[in-house]
Amino acid sequence: MNRGTLLVVGHGMAGHRLVEEVRARDRAGRWRIVAVTDEPHPAYDRVALSTYLAGRTIDELSLVRAELRNDPLVAARTGTAVTAIDPGARTAHCADGATIHWDALVLATGSRPFVPPMPGHDLPGCFVYRTVADLDAIRAAAVPGRPGVVVGGGLLGLEAADALRRLGMSAHVVELAPYLMPMQLDADGGTLLKGLIAALGVRPHCGARTVSVDAGPDGRVAGVTLAGDPPARLAAELVIFAAGVRPRDDLASAAGLPRAERGGILVDGHCRTGVPGIWAIGECAAPDGRAYGLLAPGYRMAETVAAQLTGPPGEPLREIDTSTTLKVLGVDVASFGDAHATTPGALRLGHTDHARSRYASLVLDANAETLLGGTLVGDTANYAPLAALTGRPLPTEPERLLADGALTR
Amino acid sequence: MNGVVIVGDGPTAARLTRRLRRLGHDGPLTVVGRSAWPAGHRDAGPGHPAGTRVLANTPVTGLDRARRLVHTAGPAIGYDALVLATGGRPLVPPLPGFTGACGRPGDGVLAPRTAEDSERAAPGRAVVLGGGVLGVETALALRRAGRHVTVVHRAAHPMHHQLDEVAGALVARHLAERDVELLTGRAPAEFTPGKLTLDDGQVLDADALLLCEGIVPETSLARAAQLAVRRGILVDDRLATDDPAVHALGDCAEPPGPWPAPDQADALAALLTGRRPAFPPGVLRPRAPGLDLAVLGTRAALDDAPETVTFTDPARGRYARLALRDGRPAAAVLLGLPHGIAALTQLHDRGLPVPADRLAMLLGTPPRRGAPGAELPDDAVLCRCNNVTKGALARAFGTGARDVAALAAATRATTGCGGCAADIGRLCRTLGEEAE
Repeated sequence: MNRGTLLVVGHGMAGHRLVEEVRARDRAGRWRIVAVTDEPHPAYDRVALSTYLAGRTIDELSLVRAELRNDPLVAARTGTAVTAIDPGARTAHCADGATIHWDALVLATGSRPFVPPMPGHDLPGCFVYRTVADLDAIRAAAVPGRPGVVVGGGLLGLEAADALRRLGMSAHVVELAPYLMPMQLDADGGTLLKGLIAALGVRPHCGARTVSVDAGPDGRVAGVTLAGDPPARLAAELVIFAAGVRPRDDLASAAGLPRAERGGILVDGHCRTGVPGIWAIGECAAPDGRAYGLLAPGYRMAETVAAQLTGPPGEPLREIDTSTTLKVLGVDVASFGDAHATTPGALRLGHTDHARSRYASLVLDANAETLLGGTLVGDTANYAPLAALTGRPLPTEPERLLADGALTR
Repeated sequence: MNGVVIVGDGPTAARLTRRLRRLGHDGPLTVVGRSAWPAGHRDAGPGHPAGTRVLANTPVTGLDRARRLVHTAGPAIGYDALVLATGGRPLVPPLPGFTGACGRPGDGVLAPRTAEDSERAAPGRAVVLGGGVLGVETALALRRAGRHVTVVHRAAHPMHHQLDEVAGALVARHLAERDVELLTGRAPAEFTPGKLTLDDGQVLDADALLLCEGIVPETSLARAAQLAVRRGILVDDRLATDDPAVHALGDCAEPPGPWPAPDQADALAALLTGRRPAFPPGVLRPRAPGLDLAVLGTRAALDDAPETVTFTDPARGRYARLALRDGRPAAAVLLGLPHGIAALTQLHDRGLPVPADRLAMLLGTPPRRGAPGAELPDDAVLCRCNNVTKGALARAFGTGARDVAALAAATRATTGCGGCAADIGRLCRTLGEEAE
């Protein structure tokens, strides 16, 4: 039989899931897979990146299992940037001069940190938080006992603050919204989280806008300025930008593949670009126009493309679930379903237990009969069952669903 | 026996005297007023009951709390219980055009004490200064009378002393839906009949200007007597000052929560006749038809309670924030929830705990009676990273994957973010118990 080359550009978590899925499904060995990454390491667990500073090695973080490492049909090329793709000739050009011919191409280039274009954003001492290399650089620049500022109070920003804390620095977090993790949480949940984080020694500055990063006499970062009258100044040995990510869609755009209005490689529900034989998955892709900066949607995309490469396509992705649970600075946080109550007519019931530092909200349909989503802070024991009940009629009175062990099986 | 002496002779004093008599107070009852005419003669309200000794035109010069005496220009008056009902006066900004001759309101300026007073406003376009409770009530009353109304409010949202941002935004929406123009974050600069100039230079047509920025409590007597005074005379939930023989109520008093003056009079009458008051502090219900708003307790209690329940329904303009202490309402703001307001007011007045189904209480629907726990359906996804259902885990368990590690190997569950590990462990134990 004819063996084709499947080129995966980007060997992150979504790209690697695709490799695994194709290898698991491709019993006949129809595909030879080449996974190319510009990072020096093959796929690793980016979600657990902060544990790297706690002592986990890159080998321990690696997602590539031994059998895949020795698989003759899989080649991972690290430290190799793809500079251009040619959909007509079905080739990809690499920075090292190599040209790779492909029969199927999956773009899994991920996303890059967004650095707000403020004065001083590129001073020595400014960092982002995405790769092992970023963490190595932050560790080298850290000065124990001195302050560091994280711009962005979302999940990534809080992870970065945790990293600074682990490195012995005093961490400040500057968030534009009036509370922390505005993408996942509502005001009450984000406010409770702010109190919990502050109790851990991280200093949150919410409702604050960073207007500039300021240099000291040595030309390195010395602090940041926050908008206000008068403006506030925070001293800082280093600044980490964690103000969101942007899909890395430039390679695709340069090759003439359409881009979604708000960024990302535009694909359909099967993750197909307009060009036959080219797919995009993970954080660089925008199925039906929307990009997702989360792991689970990336995995769903990888699975749907693997299915198409090894058999008939399955159902297209429709409502991509953005439910997520995580631990930031030791605080459990979760959001599921329509956590922000964007469904027309949706109701929200929130419950704060200040004594136990817990918050939970449930989003219900207009008749208060169907669970649409919710958020949890401080205690996520009920996350999986609540997420599983999302879209279904409430089995009991809503607040009972939040009680300890309400849904244990 | 000297009985009850009331200093001040406004409508609240008159309500107190009538209440006291109705509840059977048969001791001496004295009202000391500054005005030449007692309550009921000056205004439309009913006056004092028969047997009340009314000393009109009698300014009080001081208090002797040790000897329980009220000093006047004439003979001193002894008391067993003293009630300060000295009232207050509307806050008038010290700006050009606001005050006319002899300290009276300027031409076209009115300081209403209730929304009904707005009937006396000059005809034409009306501007209400102050978006607090009285300002909102007054603006809506004027609007119902077909007037063109603008509210100028210094804070960012209406009723900011009582309401948080979310509820304040809903009140703003209520005003907008009734074509009341609301300008927030603005202050007046100057008034000339027909024109109000704001601090940013904007000029509003204002044939009538209604001052609703609050009341300055009359506290000089209390201060001179060294009673505790903050903005008003500080009283507890029994309307007692820091001297248990001295009470204060109405505009001159500062109780620990919202408490309409007539309810204060009724409560104090009950307390002075040895009863439990029917209306503790305090539920504030602005009088504006169509605005179902209730404020219970203080902003501080709302923020400090150990347990908070919130309900938001932006589409229908409904909102609730309940602060609970030991399961009982300590403070609350409810908007657009008439059933919830009725139920919560009852609970508050009787000191009862809120029911388990708080949502049903707020919405006025029958409480749900579900099972204490709910079983998850088989197609419920437990590991979201890897899309593994409860059914798939149960099947893997059935084929021999009897612990979390084996289930992970068989289904990939827990190998993504790992957040579901505890749930998978719990399921594993349940399945194990069932298998035995």
